[in-house]
Amino acid sequence: MSGADLGIAALRVLAPVLAILIVLPMLQWVERRGAGLIQDRPGPNRVGPFGLLQPVADVVKFFMKEDLIPSNADRFLYVLAPGLAAFAAMTTFAVIPYGATLSVGGRVIPLVGADVSIGILYLFALTSLSVYGIVLAGWSSNNKFSLMGGIRSSAQIISYELAMTTAAAGVVLAASSFRLTEVVVRQGGSWFALPFRGWNVVPQFVGFVVFFVSAFAETNRLPFDLPEAEAELVAGYHTEYSAMKFAMFYMSEYINVIVVSALTVTLYFGGWTLPGLSPAGIGGVLLSVLVFALKTSFVVWVFMWVRWTLPRFRYDQLMRLGWKALLPLALLNLFWVAALVVWKVL
Amino acid sequence: MTARLAFDVAAGLAIFFACVMVVHRHPVKSVLALVVSFFALAVTYVLLSAPLIAAVQVIVYAGAILVLFLFVLMLLNVPAEVRQTPGRPIHHTLSAGAIVAFAAALLAALRSYGATAAPPSPAPSDPGDLAPLARLLFSDHLLSFEALSILLLAALVGAFTLARREGSP
Repeated sequence: MSGADLGIAALRVLAPVLAILIVLPMLQWVERRGAGLIQDRPGPNRVGPFGLLQPVADVVKFFMKEDLIPSNADRFLYVLAPGLAAFAAMTTFAVIPYGATLSVGGRVIPLVGADVSIGILYLFALTSLSVYGIVLAGWSSNNKFSLMGGIRSSAQIISYELAMTTAAAGVVLAASSFRLTEVVVRQGGSWFALPFRGWNVVPQFVGFVVFFVSAFAETNRLPFDLPEAEAELVAGYHTEYSAMKFAMFYMSEYINVIVVSALTVTLYFGGWTLPGLSPAGIGGVLLSVLVFALKTSFVVWVFMWVRWTLPRFRYDQLMRLGWKALLPLALLNLFWVAALVVWKVL
Repeated sequence: MTARLAFDVAAGLAIFFACVMVVHRHPVKSVLALVVSFFALAVTYVLLSAPLIAAVQVIVYAGAILVLFLFVLMLLNVPAEVRQTPGRPIHHTLSAGAIVAFAAALLAALRSYGATAAPPSPAPSDPGDLAPLARLLFSDHLLSFEALSILLLAALVGAFTLARREGSP
């Protein structure tokens, strides 16, 4: 492998991570201004024009704050937990294709971090590990509110992961591949001829709804932010955290939202494809990246929109919804997709 | 060569953290050691060009079963074990003997396996391809596959019956 190849490989992996890290502070501004918009109040508007410099001020504040470790906390795990959460969040993006295949100077560069054959499984494996960050934070803080948050989180994520993976199994069945690049390419075909090769959301609408609802639970976003639940648990699993350790939890929540949105776009909304757009040449490829970014941004906005619209679920309601509604619906969706595949509609 | 080194490191970590799991006196730490051990095991699977098994290992064991363990331990808030009064010398002698005997048996089994084992079959072109595995599961091993699912169902019903208290609906 020559130096140029190595550089391209590194760029392929790092480009989306850098993009996410740059967008991250902005997201927080969007969320707070969006909350203001929805709740008919201004939101942050003092620092810079339209409060645009508020994220900068927040970051500086995080760095300047005192970093406390409770005296009875398990020090090693207490320090490890935020790192685990951020690690699991950042590594998941590696397999999501963010653009069409680029051919420059005789090189063929697929715009995806790593096009592994077990793409979807890799993603679910890492998201299932992300729960350890939250659970360990809750346990090692040696605080009953933190512990409650951690316990809730573990039960919630196990319950909703089941529905989420079963819903995604429908997409795998339709694409007959775990490769996310193939899942995307398969959705870039004809909408009006059989077999159907348009976006998966059309034949698998039920699967999409189950997946999307579970995604809220997996990322601990309202209406499913029971591990945090500031009305009952102070701040849940991160009650004791301050300064940059708290910021890492905060960051990993937003990274998870971006990743899950990108995954939703990839699985159900055709990824970087757009009907009528053929990614030829560098311009076309850049356009496909833009399409992907716009679709993902919209889904991220939906996450924020829902957060400021719906109230929090009660814990028993959350469990009932997961096991008695979403899981049966996901199984039904799987049968439906299997039937469509057998009838050669898909 | 690098792959071999990575394999040795991962296998060594898996064994080391399995030992930590047994020896550590705090149940929560034991579970965490087991997580690391399982993760290292998954790495060895990847290096043996079986990424599917690796992913399943992480999803099922590290991501689901051990989270459940952790959930139960935290719910009961199990404290660290306190060292009991030391056992009698006969106990130490017996356990040391058992360890030596087991190690000897393991070594003998490995040696005989190394002598008779067929050379490893070439890796399939796409190791993540599920089709050959699925075909095997639903043709040659269909009966055992279905029998397993019935076994799991029976276990599920059994757990449900045990968890239900007397008199409650």
